[in-house]
Amino acid sequence: MENLPKSWKKSALPHKFCSGCGQALALKILGFAIDELNIQDKAVYGSDIGCSLLSWNMFDVDTVQTHHGRATPTMVGLKRAKPEVIAIAFMGDGGGYAIGAQHLINSCLRDDKITVILINNANYAMTGGQMAPTTLVDEKTTTTPAGRKISEFGRPIHGPEMLATIAAPGAYMARCTSDDFETTKNYIKNALVNQIEGKGFSFVEILSMCPVNWKTNAQQSIDFIEEMKKTFPLGEIKVSKDVV
Amino acid sequence: MKKILIAGEGGQGAQSIAEILALAAHKADLKTSYIPNFGVEQRGGVSLAFVQISNDPINYPKFDRADILLIMCNRAVSVVKEFIGENTLVIFDGSFVSDDKLQELQGVVKSYLSLPAKNIAQEKFGLKSTNMLFLGAIYHEVLEIPKEMISTAINEKFAAYPEFQQNNKKAFEAGLQYATSKPDQQFKGRQKQEVKTVYEDDQKSWERFPQYCKGCMLCAVRCPKNAITMGKDLNFLGTQMPEVDIEKCIACGKCMEICPDGAIKLEKH
Repeated sequence: MENLPKSWKKSALPHKFCSGCGQALALKILGFAIDELNIQDKAVYGSDIGCSLLSWNMFDVDTVQTHHGRATPTMVGLKRAKPEVIAIAFMGDGGGYAIGAQHLINSCLRDDKITVILINNANYAMTGGQMAPTTLVDEKTTTTPAGRKISEFGRPIHGPEMLATIAAPGAYMARCTSDDFETTKNYIKNALVNQIEGKGFSFVEILSMCPVNWKTNAQQSIDFIEEMKKTFPLGEIKVSKDVV
Repeated sequence: MKKILIAGEGGQGAQSIAEILALAAHKADLKTSYIPNFGVEQRGGVSLAFVQISNDPINYPKFDRADILLIMCNRAVSVVKEFIGENTLVIFDGSFVSDDKLQELQGVVKSYLSLPAKNIAQEKFGLKSTNMLFLGAIYHEVLEIPKEMISTAINEKFAAYPEFQQNNKKAFEAGLQYATSKPDQQFKGRQKQEVKTVYEDDQKSWERFPQYCKGCMLCAVRCPKNAITMGKDLNFLGTQMPEVDIEKCIACGKCMEICPDGAIKLEKH
């Protein structure tokens, strides 16, 4: 195994993510998945606004930097215009579950043949750690200094479970953590293969550490991920059935 | 009027220095302005802080020539070059900014102070207090601010971390003392040092990349044999890098998998 994916752009290293960032780790795994499926020349990568935009020059594949929440519809448009490309929309929980939620839901309803990868780090990281739809109950953020209270802010969103209720039979939904290399790589590969085989909408949510905003060291970051797993159960939430 | 430009790697504490200076000047009833300038990154990337301290009102928070310029990292050198004028005092970290980078400024810089802040901090106060040494050196040029104001500003800035307050004040004093003593100086940065990157025995080799490593230490946490520890050598960001006890290493590759920066490579022979 190599330390860096072949599909990463070496000239753009060191990348722009913070020290210990789980999103960078998820992108490394995505890079290895692209390598193993050998789709570097067919894939198109669309990143959102938020920390995900720091990956704008990370891959040596065709890349689109979209507007906030618009990674999904941009990649849908691309896929419809050029069905032969493998469209990967990459976003954070802000881009997918807040400003871009309508696009995500409608894309899932239409069963667009794209792959959406969403990073869940339980806060809005780039803007300094505000509450996100995914913030855990009682988790302290800069906008919930006393912790997220259900009475005021409701419960954290469960994206894959929510989408699974409206998804077409061929859709694929999974959740994994960025510190689990093998599982995450397999789920991302499944999601990409699901698109390549034209079965349906594919969605992977990756729980990911944000040491800068969580104010955690390496061990505490891993512990926080363990805490997140209690709210967000891992696994393949919906596997695709053969479309008749 | 003093125009101060502070340039560091995001996360080195350039903005904290500026905040403390501006806050202290404000408390001393001087006119002051502070404006940060950095990219979209939360950490990493060059981060600039423009500070002005004056007796008269300040018209505009930015400027194109600095009276005092602080260079904390390699990548800042080319960014701040245009701010150096005839009368600019350049303060740099002689123990961290690399010499070949610094020589780009040869001839441009007329007066300078080389402060080995990384070394002093690593020995006495911990790397996190590096920026406070620089604060001391800058304060030597703006003595119109009473020292107790700086002390109050440090307390306020680190109110949430009482354990840092005393340490940071000591580091500040050490920086001030260094600037006052004016030791013999040379316009020289850190010489290229051979940092050990490859650890190997006959079964495996473990390689680290100082140009990629950001010192998050996830590798150390993930190692099932506790073979990885925080080393003394520094990476490109100036934080400590992991080192491996190759005897203990079982070549499982967990460190390579968890590294978000691709800074570890393990090979079995």
